Amino acid sequence: MSDGTPTLTAETRERTGSRYSKRLRDAGKLPAIVYGHGETPVAIALDHKEALSHFAKGEKVFSLSVGGKAQNVLLKDLGYDYLGNNIVHADFARVDLDERVDVRAHLHFVGNAKGLKKAGAILMKPITELELNCTVANLPDEIEVDISDLDVGDAIHAGEIKLPKSTMKLLNEPDAVVVQIVVQAEEEAEGEGAEVSDDAAQPAVIGEKKDDEDKDGE
Amino acid sequence: MPPYKIPKRVKHRKEFRRVRDRKATKGNYVAFGDYGLQALEGCWLKSNQIEAGRIACQHYLKREGKIFIRVFPDKPVSKKPLETRMGKGKADVDYWAARVRAGTILYELAGVSEQRAKGALHRVAMKMPVRCRMVGRRIEV
Repeated sequence: MSDGTPTLTAETRERTGSRYSKRLRDAGKLPAIVYGHGETPVAIALDHKEALSHFAKGEKVFSLSVGGKAQNVLLKDLGYDYLGNNIVHADFARVDLDERVDVRAHLHFVGNAKGLKKAGAILMKPITELELNCTVANLPDEIEVDISDLDVGDAIHAGEIKLPKSTMKLLNEPDAVVVQIVVQAEEEAEGEGAEVSDDAAQPAVIGEKKDDEDKDGE
Repeated sequence: MPPYKIPKRVKHRKEFRRVRDRKATKGNYVAFGDYGLQALEGCWLKSNQIEAGRIACQHYLKREGKIFIRVFPDKPVSKKPLETRMGKGKADVDYWAARVRAGTILYELAGVSEQRAKGALHRVAMKMPVRCRMVGRRIEV
């Protein structure tokens, strides 16, 4: 979590449903919901631009002011539109700052890996987020991973990443590869020079009897 | 081996055409690489079009970075020969296609700069039968 919990101001939504949510979005608002701690879920509306600027920085814990009453909340989920790029809804859970939660922290790779200077070498990142169990107050916006010493064939595993606080617990498999440098095998010229055949081979049909077998059976 | 990718085994040789105009609910975000090419319309993407896009990308990048192809042509599309009367059963398979819905990510690129990815995916988009746009990774919680 960055220095000082960012504050979000919200207003309660009197009317819910897709029709009213759409009107809110058109007016520059972001529909959201706050739930948890055994209290009644509250439908709220945030300023879309302000909320997005915080989400883009990786911030997850907020001091949410609804109707003059402030409460600590954790960003739990984001809803996207069908093209998967525009945020249309946000879920917040009420939390205490000393509460332990399972969260995902974004990885930020720093440094120029020496292995990337070789021809055909590329940096593969199978995992871009680490799953952690930590207190809400210690929740990191992102975790820095230094890759400057990484050579071709080398890899950094989840267990090798130094977590910002000793109280944090890693939930990923320690052997999981986070980042590695691989050299791409030269692709065969297949397809580039190959002629297009109209009489392409057809795939085998599962469970279909061949003609010879049918004749034998008769 | 056929020049374009087709399935190795299928359960049925031919299939119905089915509804096409729907929006993608899965495969609509960049999952493997850093940048992706997203279809903004639905279509049946032929196997030769997928291959043309791959070749265009590789020619531009010259073995730099890695390309991920997110769609596979597993749909057989049949077509009757010209000047044939209707009826007499379903025609032979003409080509294989991938079902692409609005929002589907077609290709992804890893290990290249944004500038290079933009150039490469623009070339690929020229080979596609639908409008496309370049997208990056989205904010994950």
